[in-house]
Amino acid sequence: MTGVSAPVAVETPTKGVRRIRVPQKLRNLELFLIILVCSVNAFAVVLVQFGALGYADSTVVYLGAGLSILVFGMHIALRFVATNADPFILPIAALLNGIGIAMIYRIDIAEELTGWESTAVRQVVWTAVAVAISIAVILVIRNHRVLQRYTYIAMLVAAVLLLLPMLPGIGQEINGARVWIHVGSFSFQPGEVAKIALAVFFAGYLVSRRDSLSMVGTKFLGMRFPRARDLGPILVLWALSMSVIIFQRDLGTALLYFGLFVVMIYVATGRASWVVLGVGLFLAGGVLAGQVLTYVNDRFTNWFDAFNPANYEAVGGSYQLVQGLFGLASGGMIGTGLGQGRPDITPLAQSDYIIASLGEELGLAGMFAVLALYLLFIARGFRISFAGQDDFGRLLGVGLSFTVALQCFIVIGGVTRVIPLTGLTTPFMAAGGSSLVANWIIVALLLRLSDTVRNQPRLVI
Amino acid sequence: MSELTLLILQLAFLALLWVFIFIVVYAMRSDLFGQRVRKLREAPAGGQPSHNGAAQGGSAQQTAQPQSPAAPPPPAPKVPTFVPAPGTELSGPPRATTSNASRLVITSGPKSGSEISLGSEPLTIGRSSDSSVVIRDDYTSTHHARLMIWGDEWVIQDLDSTNGTFLDGNRVTAPVHIPLNTPIRIGATSFELRR
Repeated sequence: MTGVSAPVAVETPTKGVRRIRVPQKLRNLELFLIILVCSVNAFAVVLVQFGALGYADSTVVYLGAGLSILVFGMHIALRFVATNADPFILPIAALLNGIGIAMIYRIDIAEELTGWESTAVRQVVWTAVAVAISIAVILVIRNHRVLQRYTYIAMLVAAVLLLLPMLPGIGQEINGARVWIHVGSFSFQPGEVAKIALAVFFAGYLVSRRDSLSMVGTKFLGMRFPRARDLGPILVLWALSMSVIIFQRDLGTALLYFGLFVVMIYVATGRASWVVLGVGLFLAGGVLAGQVLTYVNDRFTNWFDAFNPANYEAVGGSYQLVQGLFGLASGGMIGTGLGQGRPDITPLAQSDYIIASLGEELGLAGMFAVLALYLLFIARGFRISFAGQDDFGRLLGVGLSFTVALQCFIVIGGVTRVIPLTGLTTPFMAAGGSSLVANWIIVALLLRLSDTVRNQPRLVI
Repeated sequence: MSELTLLILQLAFLALLWVFIFIVVYAMRSDLFGQRVRKLREAPAGGQPSHNGAAQGGSAQQTAQPQSPAAPPPPAPKVPTFVPAPGTELSGPPRATTSNASRLVITSGPKSGSEISLGSEPLTIGRSSDSSVVIRDDYTSTHHARLMIWGDEWVIQDLDSTNGTFLDGNRVTAPVHIPLNTPIRIGATSFELRR
């Protein structure tokens, strides 16, 4: 049998369409950016040591190299399983993470923490865990549409994760908010991971339901409002976030979940009335909570009247907020220099207030650079979702990138006194394992989405 | 470490940070300014309005139907011609479904004759490089149109393109079902869904 291939050759000559494949081009660009990022990260740590200690010591090697090796590992994984993934997301995430580690290390020097006491060392270890999980996600999930099958399981997972801190045995209350679980010496904030499960659930749910949510309704004030019976989901979500405010005493998380839902339903249906309804509901709930719950009321008072000495000196008053603002002010345009400011005066300077610490030591120029990095990251996420072909992937991409955007807005807005301060983590930067894990999973999912977008059968004319 | 050295290092660090940002922005400039337009050598006399040029290409292909090449004149888009989906079903060829349409064939334009196999996933058409069918000519918008699947039937939707998408000579204003072997024209390119 020698003529095996003969019948194949007779087939239509147009069968083999030329597919444009430029896989290594994107990855090489990514490699170049990663090398640049690693040098910036190392530079940051060296500057911190020169500024705070006056000399460079070997810690640079551990802090810088650990992160770099992991990011290179992820890059290599992408070369094999997602050759067409977006080349910008990974370097930007790595840079934010690296600047965060340098800043945390700087606070550690000021507070004279070393070894396992040091937050920076723990942050590097958490980054390792997070990037490893991220690599695992990109290896396991070869097609994001698989996630659509688990729409309702994702809802269940999110509900369980949200309720975990309420369990008496493992739940733990830190600074008034009950959003932590504690097993042994290991603590975790399950709500951070719940936001991903919620995004998956919303995307799957809205893809199947959006017609009934967008087509019908009565017109009022130039907008088409949904029918009363279609209000179910938004009311359930509203009740959920209100219960987070009441029982877990966490304003930021509630705002994050509810905002995520409102934006995803707006993107799915294209109707502004959902945004009006959502914002109205949340404002009503927030004002009501401000009347009833003292901790919410305190946040409002600290925000409105931060510089009043009575608030400044009160326990749980505006001391932290005002110190953060003083820090930002002393930073000025180019900052005091890494390692040369006094960011450690502000409580929680390495987690909630890391952006104020950065603003103090890198100044307005550095803070805007960080904001620009977030902007690029989020814009990339929206771009990927916009280019997507299937509605589930598009909604998921929007939801995931919007969580990052909203989280940045809530934290940075709170620190700079644009909105009342609520405790959330600055994505990729703030000290905290759960936030890192959740955001690196988002990185993996966005990379997977972007690979799918570019990997379709293509014809170029 | 003197104050001055530290200041210079600090400025260098900030500069490096911004250099990274501008490298990223420069690398993604096509997102901001759109894809580069490529002039087509085959295009009829450059600078001609798109409607005339494309109508010629379209009429050459449409041998089966005695359809007048009266594509909507330039001011027409204000009153869009709606194609009732049931009408095409009665008279014309059967609707394309995922089971009976297996390929998208380019019937006119520079790449006439090439084809792409249809799966059960939607396709996008436009000038942007992430489209499934990338058409880089002057008449195509960045995100021009998309082929969707409703139930198991192929539907074409125009994504508010500048020069329009024409199904069998009629401008597509709302999502319409695509009949088999019926030309769809985008700029100077026509294609059909075939078995």
